[in-house]
Amino acid sequence: MISLIIDGQEVKVEEGTTILEAAREAHINIPTLCYDEELSIFGGCRLCVVEIAGQNILKPACATVVQEEMEVTTHSAKISRVRQNLFELIIASHNISCELNCMTCRRASNCELRKVAEDIGLEKVRLDPIDKGYQKDESSYSIVREPDKCITCGRCIRKCEEIQGVGIFTTADRGPATEVTTFSDKGLGNVECTNCGQCIHTCPTGALHEVYHFDNVWDELNDPEKHVIVQTAPAVRVALSEPFAEIDSPTTTGQMVAALFRLGFDRVFDTNFTADLTIMEEGTELINRIENGKNLPLFTSCSPGWIKFIEHFYPDYLDHLSSCKSPQQMFGALGKTYYAEKNDIDPENIVVVSVMPCTAKKYEAARPEMNSDVDYVLTTRELARMIKAAGIDLPHLEERDFDRMLGVSSGAGNIFGASGGVMEAALRTAYELITGEELEKLDFEMVRGLPGIKKAEVEINGLPLKAAVAHGLGNARKLMERIKDGEEYHFVEFMACPGGCIGGGGQPIPTNEEVRQKRIDAIYELDRNKKLRKSHENPLIQKLYEEFLEKPGSHKAHELLHTEYKERGI
Amino acid sequence: MLEENFLMGEQLLDPADYDFPALKKAFNMDREEVIQEIKDSGLKGRGGAGFPTGLKWELGYKEKSDEKYMICNADEGEPGTFKDRYLMENRPLLVIEGIITAAYAVNAQKGFIYIRGEYFDSIKIIDKLIDNMYKEDVLGQDILGSDFSFDLRLVKGAGAYVCGDETSLLNSIEGKRGASRIKPPYPIQKGLFEQPTVVNNVETLSSAARIIAEGASLYSAMGSKNSRGTKLVCLSGDINEPGVYEVEFGAQTIKEIIEQDGKGIKGGSDLRFVVPGGVSTAVLDKSEIDIPYTYEDLEKAGSSLGSGAIIAVGQEHDLVDLMLNVSRFFMDETCGTCFPCREGNRQINRILRKYKATFSIQEKEIIQDVGETIRLAARCGLGQSSLNFINSIMEKYEDELGIKEVLEV
Ligand SMILES: Cc1cc2nc3c(=O)[nH]c(=O)nc-3n(C[C@H](O)[C@H](O)[C@H](O)COP(=O)(O)O)c2cc1C
Ligand code: SF4
Ligand code: SF4
Ligand code: SF4
Ligand code: SF4
Repeated sequence: MISLIIDGQEVKVEEGTTILEAAREAHINIPTLCYDEELSIFGGCRLCVVEIAGQNILKPACATVVQEEMEVTTHSAKISRVRQNLFELIIASHNISCELNCMTCRRASNCELRKVAEDIGLEKVRLDPIDKGYQKDESSYSIVREPDKCITCGRCIRKCEEIQGVGIFTTADRGPATEVTTFSDKGLGNVECTNCGQCIHTCPTGALHEVYHFDNVWDELNDPEKHVIVQTAPAVRVALSEPFAEIDSPTTTGQMVAALFRLGFDRVFDTNFTADLTIMEEGTELINRIENGKNLPLFTSCSPGWIKFIEHFYPDYLDHLSSCKSPQQMFGALGKTYYAEKNDIDPENIVVVSVMPCTAKKYEAARPEMNSDVDYVLTTRELARMIKAAGIDLPHLEERDFDRMLGVSSGAGNIFGASGGVMEAALRTAYELITGEELEKLDFEMVRGLPGIKKAEVEINGLPLKAAVAHGLGNARKLMERIKDGEEYHFVEFMACPGGCIGGGGQPIPTNEEVRQKRIDAIYELDRNKKLRKSHENPLIQKLYEEFLEKPGSHKAHELLHTEYKERGI
Repeated sequence: MLEENFLMGEQLLDPADYDFPALKKAFNMDREEVIQEIKDSGLKGRGGAGFPTGLKWELGYKEKSDEKYMICNADEGEPGTFKDRYLMENRPLLVIEGIITAAYAVNAQKGFIYIRGEYFDSIKIIDKLIDNMYKEDVLGQDILGSDFSFDLRLVKGAGAYVCGDETSLLNSIEGKRGASRIKPPYPIQKGLFEQPTVVNNVETLSSAARIIAEGASLYSAMGSKNSRGTKLVCLSGDINEPGVYEVEFGAQTIKEIIEQDGKGIKGGSDLRFVVPGGVSTAVLDKSEIDIPYTYEDLEKAGSSLGSGAIIAVGQEHDLVDLMLNVSRFFMDETCGTCFPCREGNRQINRILRKYKATFSIQEKEIIQDVGETIRLAARCGLGQSSLNFINSIMEKYEDELGIKEVLEV
C-alpha cells in the first residue's frame, strides 16, 4: 500500500494506482474528458492536471502513478485557472453556433462537456468558436458523425480498437488539421464498421450518435391510412427507466407498453416472441448439424454487429452461421404475412417499427435481403425521447400488457438480452427436444455474467455438448482465433456488444460495467418470475406452427425466417 | 573564440583513414569506466534538455534486458539549428564512433540514427559510411576485434518537428504516428519496442567520442562549473557571418559571440534582441546579452540555451510578424494529441492574425492565460515551451506593440 496526501487528506491505495483513481477512492472529483475507465490512458485533454508538491509544472492525474508521501492538490486557484482556460479552448474547438447549440443537440442530456463546465465552475468564454468546415458523415445506416462537435479526445478510437477489436477510427494529420476520422475519410458506411455503436457510449459529446428514425415514425403514426405495429427487444425494458430519474425499478415492461399505446401504435408486440421462435428454428438447426456432423460449431446469428464483423473479418466461417434471421427480422417477416393474413390487413399498409437496444439493427433492417420487413428501428434512447416529447409521464403510467398474438413469450425469450442468454434458451429447448425428458435445473449459470468468454459442457443423451459464449467483438475475435487454432465446440454464441444487448449501442448513456450488471440482474429476474420459461412451451409459438409454418425448418419457415450472408472484404 | 577546436575540424569521411581512438580505448575499458569518464567530463545532452550524459548512460547500463537500443537523434528540426548537420556532413566518423561508444557503454546490441528527412547530404554520407564501416568491421560482429557486436541502421525522419522529441521519435521508428508518448515510462526503461533505449543527440555523441579519446580532464577543464566543455552554436538571423561555431562555455558573452564570431549585425544596423536557444526559448533584449554563454547564466536571465541556435534580430522587423511566424510554426507542428497545445496554439495564431493592427489588453491577457495553461498543462516539451518566444516579446516590447486598452462592447 502507498500512502499519500490528497488535498490535505491522507489516502492509502494499492501500488500502481493513478492519482485520478486514488482521488476517486477518496471521493474527490477531478474533471476528465479523454478518460474512460475501460480504455487505455491518453492524457490529451489535460483537464485532470493537478499540482504535486515540489514540481514545477502540473501533472495529469490520469497518467501519473502515486508515490509514497506524494502531496497532491487537486483544486486550487492556479489549477482552476488552467482548467477554465482549457475548457475555453475545448469549447472553441467545438463549433457551437446558433444552429448547433445545446438546445437542439440530442446528446445534451448526457453531454460530458456540459457536466465539466459545471464541475469546474466555468465563468467566461472569450474565444470565438472555430468553424473547420467539416461535413457530417451520414454514409452509414446506423451511425452519424458530426465532426464539428468532435473534440478529438480519441475515446472512440480506443473503444473501437481496444474493446471491439475493429479499429475504424484513426487520428489523421497534425497541427490544426488534426482530426479523428475513418480510414482515408471514407465515411462509416464505407469501411468495416460493424454498426455496434459502442463508440457512441464513450463519446463525451454529440459528435457520434445513431441515425435517427423517430421523425419518420412520428409521420407514420400521424398517417391514418397506416397500421403501425411495434416490437420491443428484451433489453429495452430493463433500461428504459434510466432516462427517467424518478423510476427506481429497473424494469418498466408494463409502463413501456402503455407508453407505446399512448404514442399511437396500433399494436404493441414483443420481440421476445420471435426470440422463442428463433430458438425453435436454431435449435432444430443445431440438432440437424450435430446429427450430420456438418458446419460445426454452429454460430448464433442474432447480433447484426457480429454478422457484419464475421462477414468482413472471418468470411471463411460464414457457413457456420445459423441461417436464422434475427428475432427482429423474424418479427418483421411475420408482421407482414401471418399477422396481416390473420387480421385481414393489406401488408402495404402495415408499418413495422422496432424498439431496439442496438444501432446495428438499423443497418440490418436495411439489408436488401430483408425486403424492408422492418420499416424503422428506434433505439431505447430514441423511444425515451419520443415519450418525453409527447408529454407522457412514464413513471406514473398504468401498466399494460402486450397484445397477445405476437406478444406472448417465455423467460427464455427474455434472457436473449443478456450475454449467454441465447445459449441458455437454446440449451433448455434442445435438451428437452433431444432427450424427451424434462430439464431439472433450468439455470445454466456458467454462461451468465460479464466474463468476456464463457464455456460450458452439457451432457445430452450421452453427447457432451460443448458450448462457448463471447460478447464484445474484441472477445469474439479472440474466440474466433482459438477456433481457428483448433478449439472444438458444437455451439457458440456471439454478441457484438459487451454484456450482450443490454449493453447495446442504442441503450441509454451512460452504459458502463455497473449499469450493465444492473440490467443483467433485471433480465434474469424477469425470467425467474415467469411461469413459462422454455421457448418450445410457448402456446402461441405452437399455434403459429400449427396455423402457418407447419414445423421448425419447414419450407415456409425457410422462406420467411432464414437468410444468407456474404463476404465483404477488408 | 576557441584557440583549438575540440569538435569541429577537417572533414573526416573515410574509415580507412581513421583510427577510431575512442573505440579502441573504450574496448580496453570496463563499461563502468567508460561511463565514469563521461560523468567526470560533465557532458550534458545537447539535444535541448541538457540531461547529464554520464548519468543517462549509467541508467541505461543498469537496466536489465536482453535487448537494448542506442539511438542517435539527428532530427534537428528546431529552426535556426544546423550544427548536427555540420557534424554529419563533416565529422560523420566522429558521430558514428560516438554511437558505438555509447552502445558499448550501455551494452546495446542494436541502434538507429534517425536523420531529418530534408538532410539529403547527411543521409547520403551516413548511409555510405555505415556500409563502409560494416566492410571495415567497425560495425557488425566483433567490432575491431573486440567481443562487442553492434548493428546500426539509418532511419529517415518523417518531416515533423515533434519527431525530434525522443518519445515521438520512437513511435516514428516503430512505424506509428509521430506523437509523443506519456512519460513515465521513460525510454530508458521502456523505449523502442518496449525495450530499454538510450537516446542521445548527434553533438552529445560526437563530444563523447572525443572525450573518451582525449580524456575527461581535458574536457572538464574547459567551461564553467555547470557548463563544461565546448558547444557548437548556430549563428543566424541578421548576422554578417552566419554559421556553426564552436565556443567554450563561459569564455565569451552572447554579445561577444555575435560580434567576434558572427562579425556583428548585418548592414551595420542595430540589434534589437537575441533568441538565445531557438524559437522555443524566451528572447533576450540587446540590453540583456552581456552575459556569459552558459546553461546557468541563460537560465538566470529567464531563457535557456536550448539546442544552441542563436538568432540575432535587428530593429527593422515587425514584431507581430515575427510572433506570427513562430506561432505558425508551433501551430503547424503540434502533434495534435493534447488540447492545450493543439487548440491553444491555434487560438493564439488566430488572435495574432486578427489583431495585427491593434492589440488590446484583453487579447494580451488571453494570450498570456492560454500561454500559461499550455506551459503548465501540455503533454510534452513542444507544447510546454511553445509560448516562450511570444510571451517574452509581449512582455518586453509592450509599448512598441501598442497594446492598448479597448473598451469591451
Ligand atoms: C518537440 C521536441 C523536439 C525535439 N527535437 C530534438 C531534435 O531535433 N534533436 C535532438 O537531439 N533532441 C531533440 N529533442 C530532445 C529529445 O527529446 C531528447 O531529449 C534528446 O534527443 C536527448 O539527447 P541528449 O540527452 O543527448 O540531449 C526534442 C524535444 C522536444 C520536446
Ligand atoms: S455536444 Fe454538448 S456542448 Fe456540444 S452541442 Fe451537444 S450538448 Fe452542447
Ligand atoms: S459502431 Fe462499433 S465498429 Fe463501428 S466505429 Fe463504432 S465501435 Fe467501431
Ligand atoms: S467522435 Fe467523440 S469520442 Fe471520438 S474523438 Fe470525437 S469527441 Fe472523442
Ligand atoms: S504538447 Fe503539443 S506536441 Fe506535445 S503532445 Fe501535446 S499536442 Fe502533441
